[in-house]
This record gives sequence, structure tokens and C-alpha cells, in this order.
Amino acid sequence: MRNIFIIARRDLRAQFNSPVASVVLGGTMLLLGVVFFLIPHISGVLAGSFWDVDRATMDQMFASLPLFLSVFVIPAVTMRSLAAEKGSGTLELLITMPVRDSEVILGKYLAALAMVLILLASTLLYPIAMFVWPWHLGALDWGPVWAGYLGCVCFSAAAVGVGMMLSSLTESDVVAFFMTLGVLGIVYAVGWIVSVWHTDNATGSTLIDALGFISFQTRYAPFARGLIDTRAIVYFVSVTILCLLISFRSLESRKWS
Amino acid sequence: MSNDVMIYANDLSKSFGSFRALDKINFEVKRGEIVGFLGPNGAGKSTTMRILTCFISPTGGAARVNGHDVFDAPLQVRESLGYLPQRAPLYLEMSVLEYLRFAGDLRHLSPDTFRSRAKSVVEVCGLAQVLGKEIKHLSHGYRQRVGLAQALIHDPPILILDEPTSDLDPNEKAEFLDYLKQIGEQRTVMLSTHNLAEVEASCARAIIVSRGRIVADGPLDEIRGKSGRVRYVVSIQESATAGKYRGRGPLPKKGQVEDTLGKVDGVKRLSELPTDESAHAYELVSEREVDLRPEIFQAIVDQGWVLLELHRDAQTLEDVFRSLTIGDERRNRQLGAAADGGSDEEDDEDEEEQDDSDTAGSADDEKAAKEERS
Repeated sequence: MRNIFIIARRDLRAQFNSPVASVVLGGTMLLLGVVFFLIPHISGVLAGSFWDVDRATMDQMFASLPLFLSVFVIPAVTMRSLAAEKGSGTLELLITMPVRDSEVILGKYLAALAMVLILLASTLLYPIAMFVWPWHLGALDWGPVWAGYLGCVCFSAAAVGVGMMLSSLTESDVVAFFMTLGVLGIVYAVGWIVSVWHTDNATGSTLIDALGFISFQTRYAPFARGLIDTRAIVYFVSVTILCLLISFRSLESRKWS
Repeated sequence: MSNDVMIYANDLSKSFGSFRALDKINFEVKRGEIVGFLGPNGAGKSTTMRILTCFISPTGGAARVNGHDVFDAPLQVRESLGYLPQRAPLYLEMSVLEYLRFAGDLRHLSPDTFRSRAKSVVEVCGLAQVLGKEIKHLSHGYRQRVGLAQALIHDPPILILDEPTSDLDPNEKAEFLDYLKQIGEQRTVMLSTHNLAEVEASCARAIIVSRGRIVADGPLDEIRGKSGRVRYVVSIQESATAGKYRGRGPLPKKGQVEDTLGKVDGVKRLSELPTDESAHAYELVSEREVDLRPEIFQAIVDQGWVLLELHRDAQTLEDVFRSLTIGDERRNRQLGAAADGGSDEEDDEDEEEQDDSDTAGSADDEKAAKEERS
């Protein structure tokens, strides 16, 4: 148990010592600001900026956060977890310390997740700055905000798991980045197809239901509206566990290959 | 297995697909020994070390480190050893002190123990000047020292070092071997290298591996004497530029010297060694046990020449190493051998019967190879 935190602490510190943390934090905050305040409504793609909606709500932020997380933040944060360590050989030194493989996986997972959580926490600056201090743009209903954050945390937990898994399959951080981006991007796109279908068609279809079942986006959508869906929580947790198990097996496979 | 055996390998094998990296190797390393693990690249040195540190698992056989089995108790195995992998892969963005603290934390050292251990490893490895520096700004030599420091931080009874000197310049190498002697006083050290001079400088015992098998294991002198050949180095004054010539008659010519030395009874081979103008230097090889020095000396005195140097030594470790592992070299140069690796393996299988316990025997075809060259 203690080893997990030692490894997580080191990894997190490494993220902050490298440009990854600053690029991810700075880049996301900047882009999120642009999207949130400036990009107008595009039918089916973007919900429009905060000003278009003209209500005291953070919906627009929660609608665009998963996209940022999927195509930028999580690939960047998880790419180094295992892939880079395998490539540079540092993994050998880490694993030959008296630590279990599972502790290595969990430590690295926690570090990557912590990085994403730090990012999510910093987005709290938006509602605080807009509705608490220094500006008061209206009376914000904080319930949906917390539900949205809970959804983001669950979404991130599963997506970081996917990133870890893909990172454990390769020795190159660039490959890990693009594989994670690809997989999370596809999962996101599937959700987008499902939501477009639902806006255009009143009836369901088996294929769309199946796509909706695997899509992170569909699972996340109720949270963004302020609804806490326990089925979705179970889903995200299951995906996380599955991905971590695969990462563990993949790390262990070095022994037998 | 007695308590003194710190590293024990029994019929250890490892295959990567159809490639057999290790083929039933057996050895023991006792408490307090410094053992050089020698072999050409790809002979199976790193594979063995990775098995001993539980980074990979063997496909067959058993290994115990400090009494713990690598299958059943990998954590205890790792606790009792310090390991420095090839090229010291460290986290480059950390400072030296941070790195040592990380290693200490994972080894569960208390802050007090860490402080006192860190103080001692920093002293032994000469890291005081660079403690606060990031590892990425350090030279290879210093990185290697940091790697050694992390391996020593928990005061392990066993040290496994994989090519610890490969990236070092000659000064750093000499210093490193000095540390190793200090460190090795109370520890069991296993060190892999392909540099023979290092083994001669720091180890009393060597294990030579070639193509996944142990071809020699024993004290250095024993290994040196393995081929049974004895070498004599003779040098005879060639010119008298500085001062008076003390010999009788004219200065010797090259042909004369070769003639005379070649006629000495028991000399098998004669080859000229590079020297300057002042001397003729030759290496004579004999396969006899009898000491030929008196004969050589007498032959030179009879000619009235001036003998500058005459000494006899058993083969150098380098020669033995080359003759024991030359098969690898040959194999690397032959395309066919690599291509039909499968049939090769079968050949090995056949040899196994005769070859298994035997180490000198495998030198036979190697000898032939050597003669081919000369």
C-alpha cells in the first residue's frame, strides 16, 4: 500500500517537473476559456458559448470537458506512465525494487488520475470567478455543478484506465499518445453519433443502443445535466478495473515473453 | 545448500520464442565473493541477472538468492539485493538526492537510517558535489555512480551489477573498480562485463558464458591455465644507439633471431611483438609443462646476444576468453548459421550429452578455429 503512494508521488512530481503538467494545465484552461466564452453554437457539435445560452449555468463547460479530456489531457498524461519507462529502461530498475507489479500499476494510475483531478479542480476557477468572486453573473445552482464534476471524475477514472492500458502495450510514448487519443476519440465520436441520432429521431435502434452502451459520452451526458446515474458509475468503475487488470497482465507478460 | 551460498542457479534456462538465451546453467556464488560474469554480447549475461532480480522468469530450472526462491519469494529476493541494470536507467528529471530518497522509500528505510546510509553511499560513490543536480545534467560516469548508490542504499548483502563500467572513461573505470573493492569487502558481488582487465583487477573468480552456457567457472588462475598453453616473451637488444653494446659479435638480425628461437626444443609457435628499433621482441608458445626458460636463455647466450627480457606466463585471460567464446564470433559472421537457427539448436541438443558437464571439451573446435586463423 505504502509503495503505491511512493510511486504515485514520484510520478506526479515527474509530471510537474516536465512540461507535460504546465502544457496540459495551461493549454486546457486557455482552450476551455475560448470554447466556453467565444465559440458560438454549432448544431450537434458544440452547445454554444456561455453568452449564447444566457442563463446562470455551467452546462457549456461540462459539455465540452470530455472532449478536452479525451483528445488532449488524458493521452498526454498517461503516455509516459508505462510506455516511456519501458522505452528508457527505468521500469527495470523500478520493478527490481521490492515492489509488486500491481503496486506499480496502481501507483502510476493514481498519479495520472491525480493529474487529471488537479486539472478538473482548476476548472472550478470558472464558476467561482463568474458567480462567487469577483463577478456575480447570477445565482448559480451548484447542484448540477457538483453532479457534473462527479461525472467528470468518473469519466476521467475510466479514460485514464484506458490510457494506462494502452501505455502498457507499447514502448514509445508517442505511440501511446496517439493510440489513447484514437481510442478515446472513437469512444467520444460514438457518443456524438448517438446524441445526433437522438436529436433527429424519436425512435431508438438496436445499433444505436449498443453504441450508446459502450460510449463514455452517453454515460456521461446525464451528469452534465445534473443527474447522478449510478448505472453509469458502475460502468465507469468496471471499465477502470478491466483496464487496470489488462495493464497488470501486460506488465507481467515481460516475465514470460 | 549451505548457508554461505548467496546465489544459486540450478539448470537455469530461458527461451525467447525459439531462441534459447540460457541453456541449463548451474553456478553458485558464496558469501563475500566477487564474481566476474563474462561473455560476449548476447551470451546470456543480462538474462541471467534479470532472472536473479526477478525481472523476468526462467523457462526452466531454479534460482535462489539469499535462500529465497525467485518464483516463490520475489519480494524477499529483491529486498536482499541491490541491482544496477545496464546503462543505469535512472529518472532523469529527478535530482540525485531525490532519487536516492525515492529508492530509500521503496526500500522502507526510516528517515534516520536513510540519512546515515545516504551519507555513507554518497561518500563511497563520490556524489557529494552533485547531490542537488538533476540526473539529466550528469555525465555517464556520474549516472553510473548514482546507479550504484541506489543499489547500495539499503546495505544489501548481494550486489548484482550489469556492465557497470561500459560507459565510463578509463579514469572513471579505475575509480569504479576501487569502490567495488571497498564495497565488496563484506558483500557478495556479481558483476557482468566483457572487459577482461576489469575482472582481473577486481574479481578472484570468473564465470564465462557463451551462447547461453557456462564454458568456464573458477578462480582466475585456473581459467587462465585452462588451455594448457604457456607463453614466453623474449626481447633481445637490436641496436646500440644509447651507450655501449655489451654483446659479443655483431648485432642480431631479425632472421637470425627467429631461426635461433625457432630451434629451441618445445617451441610450437613464434610471433613477433611490436617494438621500437632498439629490440627484437617475440612471443613463443609452448604446449609443454616443462619450463623452457633455461633453454631459451642458453640459446641466446650461445649467440652472444644481449637478453633484455624473458618471462613466462600462462595464457592471458583474454586469450582464454577468446578461445572459449570464439564460436559466437564465427556464428555472427556466418549468414547461414543464423538463418537455420532451428537445425543449429538440434545440433546443440546432440552435443549436450557429451558436452553437458564438460567445459574444456568445448574448446576443441575452438582450438581448430584458432589454428585456422594463425
